[in-house]
Formats: sequence, C-alpha cells, structure tokens
Amino acid sequence: MSSIKTGTGDLAKYPFLNEAGEYIRQTGFSWEELARPDMANVLDRAAVRIEAGTLGMVYEDLERYETEILTFLVSLIIVKSIGLEPVLRKFALAEARRAEKFLTEDLKKQNDLQKRSLFSKIFEELFRLKIGVAEEDKRLFKVKVSDYLSRSSHFHEQEWKLVNRLVSQGDVYLDADETVRLIRNELSVMIYERVKGMTLPTLPETMRAKADLLRAKLLPRFDYRPTAVTDFPPCIKHALEVMGKGENLPHSARVMLATYMLAIGKPIDEIVSLFESAPDFNQKITRYQVEHLAGLKGSRTKYSVPSCEKLLIENLCFATEQCAGIINPLQFGRRQVRKA
Amino acid sequence: MCRDNKPAAVWPQTGEKGLSETASIRNTTIVKNAFREYYFHSKSVEEPTRMEQREFGYSLFGQKGWIRHLSFSSMGALVATLVKEAPSDVYCSNAYYRFPTHPMQEKDWLGAFLIFDIDGKDLDLPCVPSHTYLLCAGCRSAEPLHDQQSAFACQSCGADKADSVSIPCAKCIDASKKELKKLLGFLTGDIGIDQLAIRTYFSGNNGFHIHVSDDQFVTLDSSARSDLAGYLLGTGLLPESVGVRKGNNESLCVVKFPRGGIAYGWRNKLAEKLKIDGSSTLKLQHIVTQAGGYSAFKSSLDRTAREMGVKIDAQVTTDVHRIFRMPGTLNGKSGLAKTVFINPDSFDPFRDSCVLGDNRVNVKLKCPVRLRLKGKSFSISKESAELPAYVAVFLICKGLAEAC
Repeated sequence: MSSIKTGTGDLAKYPFLNEAGEYIRQTGFSWEELARPDMANVLDRAAVRIEAGTLGMVYEDLERYETEILTFLVSLIIVKSIGLEPVLRKFALAEARRAEKFLTEDLKKQNDLQKRSLFSKIFEELFRLKIGVAEEDKRLFKVKVSDYLSRSSHFHEQEWKLVNRLVSQGDVYLDADETVRLIRNELSVMIYERVKGMTLPTLPETMRAKADLLRAKLLPRFDYRPTAVTDFPPCIKHALEVMGKGENLPHSARVMLATYMLAIGKPIDEIVSLFESAPDFNQKITRYQVEHLAGLKGSRTKYSVPSCEKLLIENLCFATEQCAGIINPLQFGRRQVRKA
Repeated sequence: MCRDNKPAAVWPQTGEKGLSETASIRNTTIVKNAFREYYFHSKSVEEPTRMEQREFGYSLFGQKGWIRHLSFSSMGALVATLVKEAPSDVYCSNAYYRFPTHPMQEKDWLGAFLIFDIDGKDLDLPCVPSHTYLLCAGCRSAEPLHDQQSAFACQSCGADKADSVSIPCAKCIDASKKELKKLLGFLTGDIGIDQLAIRTYFSGNNGFHIHVSDDQFVTLDSSARSDLAGYLLGTGLLPESVGVRKGNNESLCVVKFPRGGIAYGWRNKLAEKLKIDGSSTLKLQHIVTQAGGYSAFKSSLDRTAREMGVKIDAQVTTDVHRIFRMPGTLNGKSGLAKTVFINPDSFDPFRDSCVLGDNRVNVKLKCPVRLRLKGKSFSISKESAELPAYVAVFLICKGLAEAC
C-alpha cells in the first residue's frame, strides 16, 4: 500500500503526515522567508487557525494547498512559542477535528482504491488500526472489538459503549463518521506530542511578534476559578441514606463515598465518622482505609472518585435528570466559572 | 514479601476467641497435611504462560492477609513452596510485569489476560437459605439458617453477629453453569474469540473462572475491560440501539432503525425478544406506546438486557492488577481444587474437583449437615464422626466441623 502516492491536496487536508513536511522541504523553503511581506498572509492565517481552535471552532479553509500546509507548520511553531498548555490542547483537538471532517468526507466520497490509501496512510500507519469494509453494506466499516474498545472506552457518551454498537463475530460495525471519530483522540494526541517534542527554531521577528500578540490575547481566557459543591449527587445521597439506616454498604460504595468526600475537601475525621453507623464499623480500620484512599498510607496513591460509568456497572448509580452530561459524581452541580 | 489485607475468611485466626488454641492447631494440622499431600503428588497445578513475569501470592491457614508480590522462575520452585507452606489459597496474576516482585506502582505492567468470574452467591438463588449456616462471630458455633431469619442471637454465647457459609447444592451449580454457557456464547459469538483460547474452570467453591488467552485483549486497560464487562452484563443499553428515539416529550417516541441495522449482537438479541426486525417500525412504535413512552420503555429494556446478560463479577474482569486463584490449586474455603473442564454438562465439581485423599479422620460436627462429594451422599447428624479426609477437610474449611 505504501506505493500509493499522497497528492498535494491530501497533504493540505492531512498536514500532519510526514510527507507534508517533506513536501515543504523539497520546495527549498526556509523559516527566514516568513519575514517577507507576502508571507504575512500565512502568519495571519496561522493566528486565525489557532484562535479558532481555542474557541472550539475548526479552521476549514482549503484554498491554496501550499499555503495551507505552510499555515499548519507555522501554527505548530506559534503554539509552541505561546507555551500555554490549554492553548496547545485546544489547538491539537481542533486540528484533529479538522482532519476528521476531511477524512469523513473522503471515506464517504472516494472510490475503493482511494479509501484503501487512506486506511493505509492514516489508520494503519499512524494509528495501527485495521479497517475493513462491510461486505453487506459498503457504507459500513468494521474494526476488531479489541481495537474498538481500546479507543472508544475513553469516550463518555453512552452511545459509544460496546453494548450500544453493532457487534458480530469479533467486529464492530461503524459508519464513516464513527470510524473517523474513533481516531480523533489519537490524532489530537499526535499533534499535541509533535508540538511538545519540538525544539523552537530562531524565529523571524514578524513571527515572534505574532506569537506574543496572540499570547497576550489568549492568556486571560484560560484563567479558571473553581466553585464550591452545592449539592450531593444521587449516588452519594443514596449511599448516605443506606449508611444512615445502619445498613451494610458494599465495599465499592464505601470507596465511592470516601473518595468523593475526600475530593470535596472533607476532613478525614468527618469522613470516618460517616461510617460509624455501619454494622461492622471499626474506627481503626476505617481510618486506615480512608487515609489509604487519601494517599497518606500504604501505596501512597491518591484514589480518584469512580466514574459514573463504573458506578453504573457496580449498581451504585441512581442517576436523575440533573446528572445529564456528567461523567463523574464530582461534576454534579459544579459549574466552572470563567473570569470575565 | 508483604502482607496485604484480604476479606475476612470463615477460617478462624490463630488464638481467636471461641476456639481453643489446641482445636485451632488440630484443624490447621489436619487440613495442612491434606493440602501438602495433594501438592506433593499432584500434577494438576498448571504452569502459567510467561511464568517469570507473573506475580504470585498465597495465604496461610490461621493467618490474616496475603503474602504476595512473589515470583517463581519454575514450576519446581513453586511446587516446592506449596509443599513446604501448604497454603490455604494460591494466586497468580493474570497480568504480566517486567518486575513482578516490585511494589505495584513499580512493576511495569506489560499486559493482562482476560479473566471472568461467575460466582454462585451473586445469583440470588432461592435455594441458598436452605443450605446456608450461620457461624457465630463470638464462639464459632454453627446453626442452620432458619426461614425468614433476619436477626442472629447465638444460643451458646449470646453474640449477635455471625458469618454465613453455604454448601452449594446442585441447583446452585446448574445456575452458575447456565451463566457460564451464556458467557461462552457471547465470547465465541459476538466477541469472536476462538474457542481454543478459552479455558473454563470450577473455582473450587461456588462458581466458575474463565481464562482467555487471546493476545488481542492483553493490552486493554481497565476502562476498556469495563466496557467489555458492561457488554456482557447488558448494562447501559440505549433504546436508540434498537431504533427507539426520544420524541418531543417523555411519552412520545420516534422509531428510526440505526444505519447498521439490528441483525447482530445485542440489537439482534433484543429484536428477537421483542419479536421485531428492521422493518417493524409500526410494531415497535406500538410496543413503546404500550410500555408507557420512551422513558418507561428504556427502563424495561434495561431490565430485559440485565436479565439476558451474564452475571459476571465485573470487578474481576476490570482489575488488571489482580492476583487470581491459580488453576489446579486448592481452595481454602472448601478443600476442592480449581479444576479445568471442557464440557459443562458432564462436569460435576463435587466429584471432579474433590481431589483429597480418603483416609479416616475424626471430627466433631457443630451442627447436622448434608452434602455430596465424590459421588457419595453424606448426611451427618451425630456430634462426632469418622469421615474420609476429603469430607472432613471440606467441613473444617467451611467452619462446620472441628478436628478431634
């Protein structure tokens, strides 16, 4: 498959491919050229591209292929130079979503040979994901259950749970959008890592000025202020009720209760006393266990609050409508307020 | 070597109140001798693949906790330890590590084989109270659980706390086998695992362990395994999977079948249950209306899926650092072995996993018991009895008898 050539158009859509950098190198381009007045366009586009990303939008231009490839490479350097972690994360995600858009379109429109080229260049070479086309319906693609699980299990939407997919004989069947969505995170991680591992070249003055300007503009947006917990989520309320009645709470529910209380900052003494009504309460053991969860004893690992998904499987989830959109009990009722 | 906490066992700790030290020592001696003899002669302890990269652990009779983070480079070294220590339970990680003896954070996890646990006690079977006994937490005396009994008061010492033990009956085993067959159906069907990569075991007490040696799953992390466990349990099914979407309000719904259809996997299982196919738009609409709308249909779908799913212990599958009972070793809760089998229908755990000898041992029964081992039925109502070692050990392990 590696004999299939990637066209310049593909490189503009997928500029993270090694061939894109190679293509620019072959044109004899050097960074100093960015100081030229006619390159201002590339710098401006790069700034727009980065800012769109930080606002959760996708830069969709695909006009002059060479310009787009260059814009991408310049964007990477400016993001590195800005040096703000949230900017990098958002930029990487936006670039992944941009590629996702083009990939999905290509998978829907292209003929079999072109599709195979995409499978080979992007899915297999970059992400080791083997994709097949469903025999019964050419619009559907299939991936192995293990390949699916290793990616989808990090998605939080219920529709991505394996139980909600079409599964047969070791394959999961997906449409074009879903197939591409499966590798979005990996695309994003790849772009993130590329910027992380980059050594900044000496930048032309015009480029440094652009980066400084953008940094000053973006900095205030990423200053967060957390707010306090207003109400306990239903899973915690339920556990507290069971405790209150002096009934036996399963170990997993105790872990949930203790990690939750630790995460919202309750003192250890108070948490230990929550368990006093348990039929098998032993002050010394409970204290050790709570301290263990807090990372103060034993392995020194601080345990996090189990996810909503884990609680659902353990029959500890009592979700109400107010739980919509949360993936961890800690997010219940909590709103993150951005400084104006 | 280090000791970790483990759940409270029925086996009394050395020097525990209620059991004289001599009785405790006698129990330990009898059971340890029987276990040691088994390990000395047995060829059934299975050598795990990548043995030198596994973590091993064991627990000892009459002592709290596990001794874990051990490594053995050969079966000879492992069996020598088993003969020397005669542990109550022996474990081996399903994970393999670069440094299996290091503390957990430093082990350098390389992968873990998939494992599943079906435990009879999780099945809420109606027969369980009829073969359950209460062991007083104070004096360790035993009595059968009475119908509808909710409180405990020991007739000998007045204590109000008790542990319960159960002697699984044929119905318990049959119910677990039913779950096992369901699991095998899922694994070889939907999940596409080759039958040859699956090994099934009796746990040695009241359930089944399933080991999968398919390499494609070994690198899956805990959350991917949790998703797989959710699939097998049938949790989190959305009505949208079978084509039911939310309408403008709770009582309304729109039927639009998913693009991939409903011919395979859970979608197919539920379609068969609801007696619909990819063209039954009106029928499905009617079913949802009858159920009381989208939300009511969702709840009923959830119940149905959980009933149709396999009752595995999700924590076992999800935990990638677990040490799991080692195939071919004895279970300290019963003296039965964790035994491999191929055909669930012809496998009888109380015959095929009962591997201890039959030399005669005198025991004092704490209450009348009935059980069947090695194809023989035992109904013992007298206080003292001379029993074959495999029965005596079973009852001592259960806490229902003491060595004289």
